[in-house]
Amino acid sequence: MLNYTFHWRPALNALPDMLSGALVSLQIAVLSMVIGVVFAVFLALGRQSSNKLFYGFSTGWVELARNTPALFQVYMTYFGLGSFGIQLDSYVALLAGIAFNNAGYLAETFRGGLRAIPHTQTRAARSLGMSAPQAFRLIVLPQMFRIVFYPMSNQMVWALLMTSLGVTVGLNTDLTGVTQDLNVRTFRTFEYFALAAVIYYLLAKLITLSSRLFAWRLFRY
Amino acid sequence: MKLRTVAATLLLGMIAAMPAKADKLDDIIASGVLRCAVTLDFPPMGSRNEKNEPIGFDVDTCHDLAKALGVKAEIVETPFPDRIPALVSDRADVGVASTSDTLERAKTVGFSIPYFAFKMVVLTRDDTGIDSYESLKGKKTGSTAGTFEAIALEKDVKAWGGGSFRPYQTQADVFLALSQGQIDATVVTNTVAHSVAKSGKYKGFVVKGDAPYVTDYVSLIGLRQEQGLLNYLNLFVNQQVRTGRYKELFEKWVGGEAPDLTVKGVYY
Repeated sequence: MLNYTFHWRPALNALPDMLSGALVSLQIAVLSMVIGVVFAVFLALGRQSSNKLFYGFSTGWVELARNTPALFQVYMTYFGLGSFGIQLDSYVALLAGIAFNNAGYLAETFRGGLRAIPHTQTRAARSLGMSAPQAFRLIVLPQMFRIVFYPMSNQMVWALLMTSLGVTVGLNTDLTGVTQDLNVRTFRTFEYFALAAVIYYLLAKLITLSSRLFAWRLFRY
Repeated sequence: MKLRTVAATLLLGMIAAMPAKADKLDDIIASGVLRCAVTLDFPPMGSRNEKNEPIGFDVDTCHDLAKALGVKAEIVETPFPDRIPALVSDRADVGVASTSDTLERAKTVGFSIPYFAFKMVVLTRDDTGIDSYESLKGKKTGSTAGTFEAIALEKDVKAWGGGSFRPYQTQADVFLALSQGQIDATVVTNTVAHSVAKSGKYKGFVVKGDAPYVTDYVSLIGLRQEQGLLNYLNLFVNQQVRTGRYKELFEKWVGGEAPDLTVKGVYY
């Protein structure tokens, strides 16, 4: 680092742009999480299903999402689908790629959560006159979310960090996109990347802290 | 005894206080290797042949420079956005990678006098109906992040108010996006445009008119404070033109009239 002098003043001038980029990153992370959770519930059910097709589909999704790099998944939703004539916007492609990844990981987390709930509870609920979907929705699901809440917030942090992959599919409005744009314009790589790292760190902290707050509010006995 | 101790201390102090004299130019000559950062997805400046060996105008220029220095050339493949980090983190000694000499960048990195000059043209597919730079208005465009043409195009797209601009990390991704229809047109250097349109690798690529930008002069780059090296690079570029080697290389890789590297009416 001896042959580099830091220029912090112009770098700090770009902070407002970077912060609005951070908002876009956070937005993608939250949306991908919401979509991911919805799909993951179905995938988790599919993994336990006796229906061959449902089981096969869910297993295929989970295997692909968990055992290939996230970069590959994002790149494929953009350029891979593009080669079949399906053109997604950079933002949508990134969101879809991360949601796909989230769903795969969360499905396995949820499956573990479901297993931890004694089957006798469902039977008790059914014997009280609840239908099977009712028992699942009112008895099993709330308990499952309590069990998997911390692994979920982990995935949320992971989703935020994965948004940095958007730059490979031409996204220039998220935090990494804005940073890379500033970088190639001015070549002040270290200042901008250091600022971006700090912002990512703070966002990740924000997510962990607010999820703890949520947990405390939601899951008190 | 005491005097000798004092003398020894003084001597040691003088050696320690002596500044390290060897600069980058000395280091290159001493190490026997010149490491050039070259972008290899930018034909005909830099690309790979069938045997996966680096070839192109920039690669030959690096070899010429190494020959002049009496050392071996080593090509370090560097995507456009990573040219400066490669220099600063000491993975390369000089950048021979068609780097546009903007004032903004000159705050960070040292430029030689221009060793090449580009004109920009519009590259599109034959089914988009785009026939000039003006007809890009409101269209989906894109280019390689951080390049001269990307910065100019993004500025114009913003001024037009319609359409979109997408920066991609490599030139190859830009062509992929153009061939798939994620974007409808890009602005690229004339050399690249003609070489990719001619190659037939992507169906329907056509060059449609010039982009009205000022000439894009590109320089060799080194660390800003390495004046010794930068002086050498300046003389090297001058000699390349003077000896006719510049024309020869241009004929070999591009063909036609080699662009004038001087700006009329002003000293460099």
